[in-house]
Amino acid sequence: MTDHLLSWITFIPLIGMGAIVLVPRTNVALVKTLALIATGIPLLLATWLYFDLFDKNTAALQFEERVDWIAGIQAQYFVGIDGLSLSLVWLTTLLLFIGVPASFGIEKAQKSYYALLLLLEVGILGVFVSQDYFLFYVFWEVMLLPMYFLIGIWGGPRREYAAIKFFLYTLAGSVLMLVAIVALRIDMGGIIAAAGPSGAQYSPFSIPDMVTLAQAGQLTGAHLPGGGELLGMAFTTWVFWFLFVGFAIKVPIVPFHTWLPDAHVEAPTPISVILAGILLKLGGYGMIRACFPIVPSAFHQFAYVLAVIGVVSIVYGAYVALGQTDFKRMVAYSSVSHMGYVLLGLAALTEWGATGAALQMFNHGTSSAVLFLVVGVIYDRAHHRDLNGFGGLAQVMPKYWALTTLGFFAALGLPGLAGFVSEAMTLLGAYESAQPGFKLLVLISVLGIVITAGFLLYAMQRVFLGQLNPKYASYGDMTTREVFCQAPFLFLCVALGIFPFFLTGWMKVSIAHWVTTMGG
Amino acid sequence: MNPVSPYLAGLRYVAPEVLLTLVALAALVWDLVLRGRDSRKVGYLTLGGLLATGWLLVQQWRDLGASSTGALGTTVLGMVTIDRFGTFFKLFTVGALLVVTLFVLFDRREKKHGIGEYYFLLLGAAIGIFFMVSTNNLLLLMLGLELLSLASYSLAGFHKGDKRSGEAALKYIVFGGLSAGVMLYGISLLYGLTGTIDLGVMGRGSADGSAVGLAAQFALSPVPIAIAIVLVLAGFAYKVSVVPFHFWTPDVYEGAPTPVTTFLAVASKAAGFAALLRFMGALFLVEGVDAAVAAYADRIGLLLAILAAVTMTLGNLSALRQSNLKRLLAYSSIAHAGYALMGVAVMTSAGFSAAIFYLAAYYLMNLGAFGFLLYFEGVTGSEDVDALKGLGWRYPLVSCAMVVMLVSLTGLPPTVGFYGKLLLFYEGVEAGYAWLVVIAALNSVVSLFYYFRVAKALFLTDVEEKPALAQPVLASVIAVLAVFTIVTGLFNAPLEAWSDAGPASLGIPSATGSR
Repeated sequence: MTDHLLSWITFIPLIGMGAIVLVPRTNVALVKTLALIATGIPLLLATWLYFDLFDKNTAALQFEERVDWIAGIQAQYFVGIDGLSLSLVWLTTLLLFIGVPASFGIEKAQKSYYALLLLLEVGILGVFVSQDYFLFYVFWEVMLLPMYFLIGIWGGPRREYAAIKFFLYTLAGSVLMLVAIVALRIDMGGIIAAAGPSGAQYSPFSIPDMVTLAQAGQLTGAHLPGGGELLGMAFTTWVFWFLFVGFAIKVPIVPFHTWLPDAHVEAPTPISVILAGILLKLGGYGMIRACFPIVPSAFHQFAYVLAVIGVVSIVYGAYVALGQTDFKRMVAYSSVSHMGYVLLGLAALTEWGATGAALQMFNHGTSSAVLFLVVGVIYDRAHHRDLNGFGGLAQVMPKYWALTTLGFFAALGLPGLAGFVSEAMTLLGAYESAQPGFKLLVLISVLGIVITAGFLLYAMQRVFLGQLNPKYASYGDMTTREVFCQAPFLFLCVALGIFPFFLTGWMKVSIAHWVTTMGG
Repeated sequence: MNPVSPYLAGLRYVAPEVLLTLVALAALVWDLVLRGRDSRKVGYLTLGGLLATGWLLVQQWRDLGASSTGALGTTVLGMVTIDRFGTFFKLFTVGALLVVTLFVLFDRREKKHGIGEYYFLLLGAAIGIFFMVSTNNLLLLMLGLELLSLASYSLAGFHKGDKRSGEAALKYIVFGGLSAGVMLYGISLLYGLTGTIDLGVMGRGSADGSAVGLAAQFALSPVPIAIAIVLVLAGFAYKVSVVPFHFWTPDVYEGAPTPVTTFLAVASKAAGFAALLRFMGALFLVEGVDAAVAAYADRIGLLLAILAAVTMTLGNLSALRQSNLKRLLAYSSIAHAGYALMGVAVMTSAGFSAAIFYLAAYYLMNLGAFGFLLYFEGVTGSEDVDALKGLGWRYPLVSCAMVVMLVSLTGLPPTVGFYGKLLLFYEGVEAGYAWLVVIAALNSVVSLFYYFRVAKALFLTDVEEKPALAQPVLASVIAVLAVFTIVTGLFNAPLEAWSDAGPASLGIPSATGSR
């Protein structure tokens, strides 16, 4: 079992999807049960993996599986995890599992809905465990189709527009990625051929091998026409930007973020939760795993540009969120702001910065999940999301108010809650960066924290405090199902605020290794 | 020696062609005997004949495996060249024709009587393709091409009462006649310059000096040679609808009966590519071609690369505005001609196999897409994308299969269309055409927008509960094609090995690439 544990975790949802397809459309209860089982087993396995099987004292890949797959281009089925991917794998299985009961309110075409949800999980998990760039790309693209339909079929009034916008933006990024991957693959092939017998240890699509050869200063495009230069720009620079834009669109960072508010606003609540909680992390994870370490020289060259982009995202995202009247749109822009920290922390190239970035990805996964669930609770009752249309809800929905407050505080980085730890670490890491100019950037990004506190508290005031609108006087408080969906994430927000070790302890060695690899 | 015996010996190698001709004649005669009653019988005869031909081709493919190059050392009757390259395309032609025949048989809107000659014409076109893809002789190539064209003209106008069908045939014949003339003129120039109509001799020159190789001529008079080659290329460009020779495509595709459109878009286009690949390979890439020619190969390659970029971009941009699914697929087929042309433009053995692989992928996904079109013409009587609204919920199997086709046409994993594109990108970057690859990649994004208008119409509109109209045969054909599209996308080693065998059997040495 443990030999193929990662494959089981990844493909059990696919088996579940197959089972759901075979169930008659009318048997909704069975469909839901199957969906719960097919997301529950991976969660159990991932939990087992996290707390028992995983060796946190090594930066090496664990639970590797390696099989030759496509002979023509020497792609392999190569999966494995280290401390960087472990937490995200676990978060994915948790979010998708919670995503099922969170979707019980959906009435339309339920069989198709859960089938697509499971397919989405396969794609996401596959990206986190892939160590072969071809496999990585296949999973990366497999995610798009279910997401398109999940937004497009079960979304709000402008769902068709939002769905295709999401698809087009992401695809535009990923086709550029594909070109870069192909170029890397050709160069790898050349290096391996030139190395003679000693080249046999390398596989041309393997991400770890690319990193190793990049470390050795070999992955420079010397085996491509043009010998490492194209139109006067270095091969590594081209590859860096092509990959970076592909991942940046997913994160998303300013100015590639405009698909996000539309997708979030139109998507049904559980899909927004998954989108913010996990899909955005794929962009950050992709940079850590498959972009920066492969072209470290270009990364060093542009680290400051990246940090600036990160800071712009932090401040601009928060500032735009401040101006929103749509509850969900506001939360969506807060994601843009929060994900900016990831970029800033990574660009700093310090252990603190990188740890902060990795923590921030996880913590944003939990806190944004809470925020979108909060929006979903009120939307299900009021059928609108206009922040100015509520008021005084604290009086009729005390439980809701309490949980929302906790979620908001976690998101705005209140000390003692998870968001604080990761943001503080990121900023500290950036402050102590040896690179010039980072201190100024940290000062500017503190502005983002202030604005974030501003828009969250302002929203809270408008929704929960003040005069109770009589229209809402009859609203019932949160149901058990709704509390159940939020509880794990709130628990994580609190627990990881007090004991961040439960994340950092597992990723510490891998991150230290990563920073050394990057030359930090 | 008996003067007849070489011909009898040669017959063995053209057995598939002979069988196909006999089936075509039998179909014609039987249709006369039936006096137009129940033409489906002729259709079933055609299916049987195609299956038998396919079996012969599989045998031929195996026999060719005995030779190290995958080709028969000599030509048959001095005309026909039997190699795996040709057999590959013949096999796919037979496969495509099987599907097209099923389309004709189960097209709800087609008459059941008095259409026996439909099958005869399809078989005739296939015979044309067979000769076209397996000859080094420019005369036979031209004959095959014309046989295919003449059959296609009649097929495009097959719905005699339909004005659009007649218009399609007329446009097709005018454009076709013109381009055939241009091509023939180019061939005559080549003949005049080299003294041979055999491509093999043209590339290398003949040992006895009776014919001059292209290399020697390049040194003497590059301009006429360039003109001749461009003229011949124009003829091919017309057949595979490369910009600026594509104007006939949307109108003909739209006007012709849908099974015929399928045939034109799939089999006829791929045959054009096959002949183009053989032509370019024999003149520029086969072993023994003079090094002086290689310099020209790069220039012709650049010309083709530019044509490829323009074709895919124009095809995709034009498709954006189409509301008629048939026309949309017509423009999409233009765009795909642009993608496949990338593989020719790189002018390497690996590039050629990438192009061949892509054409195989193109066969699969377009047969499926046109099958879907036919299915819904039968349901709604309309070709409009808007007419599909909400039908995905009523016809889940066919519609999901169509989504697979759309994903593959866009070039997303895990489908064969993705892998085909990946190979083309790979060869493009390796040959130094990174700019072309970037253009092609961005084109995929553009194409997503119009392909997914179909998916949007099918599924993003709300459910309407109405009884569904079952067309089980068409549905299963489409579903099988969809399964193939995914399976060959995930496990493509056999298909890749077959497409790699193509250039090798043409005698193109494979460079030591990194793949």
